[in-house]
Amino acid sequence: MTSSTTSPMAVAPNRATRADGWIGRTVVQVLIGIGLLALVLAVVYPLLWMVFSSFKNNSELFANPWSLPGEMRWGNFERAWNAGVVRFFVNSTLVTAGSIVTTTLISAWAAYGLVRVKVPFSNAITGILLGGLMVAPTVALVPLFGLLQRLHIYDSLWALLVLYTAFRIPFTTFLIRAYLIDMPREMDEAAYVDGATRTQIFWRLVLPVCRPILVSAALLQALFAWNEFAFALVFISDSDRKTLPVGLMDMQSRLLTEWPVQFAGLTMAALPMIVLFLIGQRQFLRGLTEGMGK
Amino acid sequence: MSTRSRITALIAVSAAGALAACGAPGTAAKTTASANLTSSAATKSGTLTIVTKFADPKYAPYFEKVAADYESANSGVKVDLQQVGDQPYKDKIRVLSASKQLPDIYFSWAGDFANKFVRAGLAADLTSVMGPDTEWGKSFSPAALKAFEYDGKSYGVPINLDAKYMAYNTAIFSKVGVAKPANLEDLIAACGKFKSAGYTPIAFGNQYGWPAIHYITQLNAMDVPQATRDADYNPATGAFTDAGYAAALDQFKQISEACFDSGSNGLSHETAQANFLAGKAAMHFLESVEFSVLTAKGGAPAELADNWDFFRLPPTASAAGDKGALTGAPDGFMVNSGSKNAALAVDFLKFMTSKANGAEMTKSIGWLSSVQGTATAENSFPQLEAALKDISSANSFAIWLDTVTNADVANAYLSGVQGILDGSQSPADVMKSVQDAAAKAKKSVS
Amino acid sequence: MASRMTRIRGLIWLLPALVLLGVFVYYPIVENVRLSFYSWNAFSPKPVFVGFDNYATAASDPIFWRSLRNNIAYAVVSLVFQVGCSLCLAAVLEEFVHQRLRGILRVIYFIPAVISITVAGILFSFIYNPQFGLLNRLLGAVGLEQWQHSWLGERSTAIWSIIGMSQWQSIGYTAVLFVVAIQRIPRELYEAARVDGAGAVRQFFSVTIPMVREMTTLLIILTVAGAFLVFNEVMVMTAGGPSDSSQVLGTWLYRNAFLADDMGYASAIATVIFVLTFGFAILQIMIGRRRRVEM
Repeated sequence: MTSSTTSPMAVAPNRATRADGWIGRTVVQVLIGIGLLALVLAVVYPLLWMVFSSFKNNSELFANPWSLPGEMRWGNFERAWNAGVVRFFVNSTLVTAGSIVTTTLISAWAAYGLVRVKVPFSNAITGILLGGLMVAPTVALVPLFGLLQRLHIYDSLWALLVLYTAFRIPFTTFLIRAYLIDMPREMDEAAYVDGATRTQIFWRLVLPVCRPILVSAALLQALFAWNEFAFALVFISDSDRKTLPVGLMDMQSRLLTEWPVQFAGLTMAALPMIVLFLIGQRQFLRGLTEGMGK
Repeated sequence: MSTRSRITALIAVSAAGALAACGAPGTAAKTTASANLTSSAATKSGTLTIVTKFADPKYAPYFEKVAADYESANSGVKVDLQQVGDQPYKDKIRVLSASKQLPDIYFSWAGDFANKFVRAGLAADLTSVMGPDTEWGKSFSPAALKAFEYDGKSYGVPINLDAKYMAYNTAIFSKVGVAKPANLEDLIAACGKFKSAGYTPIAFGNQYGWPAIHYITQLNAMDVPQATRDADYNPATGAFTDAGYAAALDQFKQISEACFDSGSNGLSHETAQANFLAGKAAMHFLESVEFSVLTAKGGAPAELADNWDFFRLPPTASAAGDKGALTGAPDGFMVNSGSKNAALAVDFLKFMTSKANGAEMTKSIGWLSSVQGTATAENSFPQLEAALKDISSANSFAIWLDTVTNADVANAYLSGVQGILDGSQSPADVMKSVQDAAAKAKKSVS
Repeated sequence: MASRMTRIRGLIWLLPALVLLGVFVYYPIVENVRLSFYSWNAFSPKPVFVGFDNYATAASDPIFWRSLRNNIAYAVVSLVFQVGCSLCLAAVLEEFVHQRLRGILRVIYFIPAVISITVAGILFSFIYNPQFGLLNRLLGAVGLEQWQHSWLGERSTAIWSIIGMSQWQSIGYTAVLFVVAIQRIPRELYEAARVDGAGAVRQFFSVTIPMVREMTTLLIILTVAGAFLVFNEVMVMTAGGPSDSSQVLGTWLYRNAFLADDMGYASAIATVIFVLTFGFAILQIMIGRRRRVEM
């Protein structure tokens, strides 16, 4: 990485400039440019390689890893499809979407309760939430086993939904709480005086105002749930219910030497996310940072 | 204050709710040994759950076909077949066992791997339907049946015969001027010749550790007497103090230095196989169930498909164990002792191991069936027939070292041998960790 | 204004959160500690009480210590790249790059973070493949054959290769967060520094770094916590091998629970992980409180 500047004479192009040292300036700019470009290549090329390789066959892959594929072998994608990539994708989407709703809602309730409704024991409760922040999912694997069975949700997507919610409540609650603390109380108080109930204030007033942080929370929850692996690995048994991370690994151990088909599976798994991101990137990045930037 | 007590009550209720869900860990149900295993023709209905490790697209279709055929022959029955990969199966079956979710029928390797299900009361005793005196039992090759016996009782249904052989490219051998090696020293010398001629002597990929273990299985069998091995492989009496074990590791080290490419820990077995198929390597150690991959029908290029043969991994001239032992074990299925469909499960397994389906197995996926008299000239190929002959003539069978021993010992070997391959551990180091693991296993089984 | 009764009823708002936390997060911690005093597995008929045996095993288990070292290595490298280099990258983007280009670069650098960790892991295991993988081919193409390795197959390189993949995926993510934090720094501070004669580097150290302290602290906590909870990447790329050289605490726990038939020991490892992450988080918060940081 070449992002550290070493020349003390460097100056930004759109700021006040120093008269001398233009050679140093250019050299640094060129170096920085090269560095940034190298980083772009490092980011983009592996992904391009993944896409190109999914159209090749085994011998082409070994022989010319750099080149564009000789022909467009859509059959590889069909094989990957048949290996269940779509089903895994759907399962992941269901669990992620579900947990976004539950986590955001329950955390918003909790944050509202802590900040606006002056509940007793609020310090103790805050402490409990804080403690929950520090528990690793892997730590809970073995005990949750028996528990999930007794609750009869083992090997069902409900198990994942419940777990993804429970483990993210602390973080999300704190996120929303921090935002809520900065919000002026006068708004609430006015509505309360006008006769609105707590519940009405929550749904009609607080929630809409908190939109930025809720969007941030939802996006972070999505990233977590989409990637979650340990719980999905241990608590989902039936391959029809596997989520994407586990399903991809499964596929890998089944399609052992059919590298191009595996690449096709990876491409099918990654492409929707990338496309979605590129389409909504401004909202995504803004949503992610607006709330957290506080 | 009443409010405080109300809060306390709230917390207590939640806690009680949570505690109510508590319980002692892992209490397995005791065997209902009297599971009814014989069904009358009229009562065949229900859903059978089966989990196998045969997700590989080469083999999966056979099992799917058997399941489909059984369903069409018995309209009241639904077969829920789940197939996972070889490596994921190892943890999946444990997860299923720990969560009491074992299917009606599940795959098992032979040896202590199967025995621990028996000891935990999770495998149904099948002696009454497939013991050596029963008609079904007599249809199997005796060695296959024996592999799944424990304490004199039968617990698993073998479905194939499998042995480990060194396949070699006859064209490369004659080109370089090497003859089939008669002992280990000759093999190592031959490797040197192949290296100088620019070939990889033995194509070998050890990513998950078991390929190396199969070498050790054969070497152990040839270097350590049977009685000692039997005692050591039994977790209750394992000690691994015989000098033959260290000798076996030493021999493996020599083989690896002379015959393998470096970096084998990072290559998968299948990638190495691809190298052999492409004619870049002279030899490849593989199982007879993989032989079909080397045939034209299985997709091998003609230069290899027409020019290969096999031999057993030869012993050293001074081996102290059983020089005629052959590494191999059948794959098998066990019936969940707690299954409500035990009789149906048995019936399904009988169907799978009928002569017709056994022959179909040989024909469609190139496996030797455990059922006698199913491999003929029509449904198999020359090398497979030769393998069957060789298997039938073996003195004794050495079951795969990573399934015949207790999991701790197996893991010590798996990890240790990977260390030998990349030079980070010596045979003495590995034997020490194996002995420690054996001591630990002894404690946990007693 | 709010009567006592109203305030109690207010607890309703917190009920779902507390119940879920209690049952699914706190109960496992307690149960884990309890289970760590037993020896049991999927096949044992009865769990056997063994006291502190499992912890003694952990203390004398070389692979346990190896796993711990790997987690620490993960944390250190991640801090350097995902906090250090990332901040520099963000600063460079803000200072030296045109507005429009900046937006494009931000998006490009962020892309690896949106593809699933598993996809990245499997992709990189192909990149690291000794025969057809990008990395070895690249080294060969520039004449550095002697640097070619079986990246995931050698003890010395396996865990570092995995750590490398993790940096690839996350640098853009943290850089974007830093960019936001930098954008909130009032320009006057930079002007003042320039007037005092500070060059770009001085400005970076005297203005940028102190002003993004909150974000830095947050990212340090997240990065280190994440490093100790690593599971996905290692599982997918090496499953802890070769010969257990790339085990991390999470995968070693899994291995003992589900492959070595020793769940009691796995619980002991889990308890250790909990103590470590909990302890670190408390430490960070205490330090943070002294610096008046708000969560």
